[in-house]
Amino acid sequence: MSVSSAMEENPPKVNKWDGNALKNALDDAVKDVLLSHFSYIESHKLLDGRLMISSVAVGFSIFALVWDWLYPFPQSRSVMLVCVVVYFVMMGVLTWYTTYLERGIFCTALNKDVAGIDPDQIWNASSSLKRFDNKYHLRLSQRTGGSGRPKEARTVLTVENFFDETGKLLYASVAKEVLRLHSDLDSKKN
Amino acid sequence: MNCRQIFYQFLNFAMIVSSALMIWKGLMVVTGSESPIVVVLSGSMEPAFHRGDLLFLTNYEQEPIRAGEIVVFKVEGRDIPIVHRVMKVHEKEDGAVKFLTKGDNNNVDDRGLYANGQAWLNRKDVVGRARGYVPFIGIVTIIMNDYPKFKYAVLAGLGVFVLIHRE
Repeated sequence: MSVSSAMEENPPKVNKWDGNALKNALDDAVKDVLLSHFSYIESHKLLDGRLMISSVAVGFSIFALVWDWLYPFPQSRSVMLVCVVVYFVMMGVLTWYTTYLERGIFCTALNKDVAGIDPDQIWNASSSLKRFDNKYHLRLSQRTGGSGRPKEARTVLTVENFFDETGKLLYASVAKEVLRLHSDLDSKKN
Repeated sequence: MNCRQIFYQFLNFAMIVSSALMIWKGLMVVTGSESPIVVVLSGSMEPAFHRGDLLFLTNYEQEPIRAGEIVVFKVEGRDIPIVHRVMKVHEKEDGAVKFLTKGDNNNVDDRGLYANGQAWLNRKDVVGRARGYVPFIGIVTIIMNDYPKFKYAVLAGLGVFVLIHRE
């Protein structure tokens, strides 16, 4: 069997009334199960894209700040105008990126082919938890890299079944659900 | 949290600060004034404006300065802007203008406030013309300037909160 991970030994304890903390803890646990039980490698492409867009936006804003300091207002007008417009365009791009490309995906794991011939299998885990709701929607999808159509498996977890009264995460229950989804997907035919 | 997460938290913080900064710069560009929103610091314009009122300014070059208008100006050598009313205007055909100001609640005109030997203000001294105002809200800025420790405490608290809080 696999080596038990640090999170399995020591599951995190969260404020059980804070929905945000619960979602983050469950996301972390799902990610931990995917990466430690299988020999998958995490792909940071999605998060890197978001970091890139944000960095460009912040870069423009810092440039505007410095330019205005060096060449006080009336002369810096056109540069300011460009920077402000670009900044808000970048914010729009970021919103589009988060809504359409990311779609709640918090983990992308790659199952690399040992021989290096076949394209990688891409596993995407995404989740959502509405405010004041107790239903954590988890979606696991598997796609064979390149052009494969994604296979999906979803489940809904009621959060109280995965945390004990003190707010400690019940890692084993989460692992069971994730592994079940995983084997469902593996065995499902296209 | 790995280093990507930490970088992301800092970026989040930077984006919040940048958004505020860009909105301010955007206002500067749209109104043409280097300080589009100012707080009234003294009672020299009562009963029109009181200490703590927030003023919205525009500074369009094409609009001429006329007597009776309320302008915000900076005296050369001092960086605190003053908001008073224009009393007298001398205008040349080429558009060069000299004007004299006085606070509504003052007994004398502003010649005592101008730089040594200066008797009139020019167009370039004007930061903007008052277009609208919101009463009282500026008191927060006055308090934060009078008690800088309070300002740093609020900013530090906000900063820490944004850096730690995971979306």
